[in-house]
Amino acid sequence: MSAAPMLAADGLSVRLDRAPIVKEASLALQGGQFTALVGPNGAGKTTLIRALAGLIPASGIIMLDGMGLSTFSPRERARRIAYLPQGNTFHWPMPVEQIVALGRYPHGDPFAPPTEADRMAVAHAMEITGIRDFLHRPVTHLSGGERARVALARALATEAKVLLADEPTMSLDPRHQLTVMDLLRDQARKGSAVLAVVHDLALAARYADRVITIQEGRVSADARPQDALNAERIASVFGVEATIIEFDKSRIPVARRAL
Amino acid sequence: MPVTPPRSRRLILGLTALILLLMLVSLMVGPAGLSPREALLALISGEGPAGIIVRDIRLPRTLLAVLIGATLGLSGAALQGLLRNPLAEPALFGAPQAAAAAASFMIAFGFVSATSLAVPLAGMAGALVSVGGLVAIAGSRASLTVILLAGLALASFAGAVTALILNLAPNPFIALEVAFWLLGSLEDRSSDHLMIAAPFLLASWVVLFANARSFRALTLGEDAAASLGVDLVRTRLMVVVGVALGVGAAVAVAGSIGFVGLVAPHLVRRAVNSDPARVMLPGALAGAALLLAADTAVRIIPAAIELKVGVVTALIGVPFFLMMIFGERRELEGAPA
Repeated sequence: MSAAPMLAADGLSVRLDRAPIVKEASLALQGGQFTALVGPNGAGKTTLIRALAGLIPASGIIMLDGMGLSTFSPRERARRIAYLPQGNTFHWPMPVEQIVALGRYPHGDPFAPPTEADRMAVAHAMEITGIRDFLHRPVTHLSGGERARVALARALATEAKVLLADEPTMSLDPRHQLTVMDLLRDQARKGSAVLAVVHDLALAARYADRVITIQEGRVSADARPQDALNAERIASVFGVEATIIEFDKSRIPVARRAL
Repeated sequence: MPVTPPRSRRLILGLTALILLLMLVSLMVGPAGLSPREALLALISGEGPAGIIVRDIRLPRTLLAVLIGATLGLSGAALQGLLRNPLAEPALFGAPQAAAAAASFMIAFGFVSATSLAVPLAGMAGALVSVGGLVAIAGSRASLTVILLAGLALASFAGAVTALILNLAPNPFIALEVAFWLLGSLEDRSSDHLMIAAPFLLASWVVLFANARSFRALTLGEDAAASLGVDLVRTRLMVVVGVALGVGAAVAVAGSIGFVGLVAPHLVRRAVNSDPARVMLPGALAGAALLLAADTAVRIIPAAIELKVGVVTALIGVPFFLMMIFGERRELEGAPA
């Protein structure tokens, strides 16, 4: 992988209320790669991903398509980076289709009707996430798994080349976890750079092309899953004794006991 | 997206027709009752006593009711869009009271007449402090509990300032004047009042409507909206300024009229699928219809002294508010929405 990264950070540090949360983090996201960001609670994963999305001020360098992130207008940035926050929050009971259409917000003239490209992108995002059956239902009436897919469809409808997802599988049943991970991996296969915070190490090991571990705000590993998630590193990052099992050509860590 | 679906187009047409009908009724009703035909003829010709009554007395009052009602409905819809909460309403955190306190202060101690430009300016400053305070406290978190508690504190503060003005009032006339601002009425408003308020009311519409799409994106929460390119700081600022302009100018000519901003958007929200952008226009129209109806009602209800329209809207609005709290109880109790 020698292609220029789509999104890269160098020496990225973030302070929230003066406390350092992310410290000197450097990473590069390539098109075609699905990267999992793992680390214990409070390690700074959400803060790192928000900084990469340009939502909070950070020191250090963030480059998007070879140019400084801050040189992009918010709309231009929004067309290139889709960000899926934690929790799949929807504040109004709007129909699913209108929620997904919000992904087109950064595109086109704000006061013009939706274009054919907008309609196609929304329809396609609903198709691949399998939410077409309830496109008219109020989003707040859906189950957690359905809501997660609507939130993902909204992010996909933007058709951004970079997708940053914060715990997209949070509080989903096993089946929906797999669906979401499949969708993220497919998105990477189509050429996007995908970064997702994942808590389930087995899912990260099976799906990701690369795993970045973060500990107390610092990147402690950035490698292929089998290298980043070996027993030794899992012990130091998570304080957990893990057994690695071979499964489906992957090396899957299973947490055994807290250290 | 701006394409209006048929259901919400029908709603807008229906509300517009209702407003026109209520305007006609408003021109007919008063101490001298007129038939629809008499009222229309008097409005067009302006001749005779009926012409004077309709054109000089009832028309300014009618137009003010429409403009102020629409402004209050729109202010409510905008605040609800910004804070992502159907219970946000200027009167709940004392914005009209703050505007009334500032306006009455100007009249009480500043020796300006009631139709001077200083009164709406003072009203806007008062509303600005109140709305700005609420958005500053509750802005980014938008928890219902924080909004309501911050609103309670701000409303109490506006009440305390009003009490202070009453306390320090140099003569009983001023105390009466303050009480008058607090009740809210459109009685005896002239075209002078209309001219003073209208530019600010219209300006508030422009400022608030400009944020419609941002409100829709905010459905996803602040982080997701920002990631879509919404400038949150600018949106917050514009809503604060827009609501302050509208509520301040409305209070300066009509006194404190509450709860239109809570009730009007709520009545039409379902018809627009809860879209916080698309609720704005019908919300404003419903506000105009509500205030016009309330102001016509106070002229019909037999009473020794004419009822104040602000009293009527509060009497209807507060039980309505309690009913809505009942609906939002789950969130208030901390359960996931």
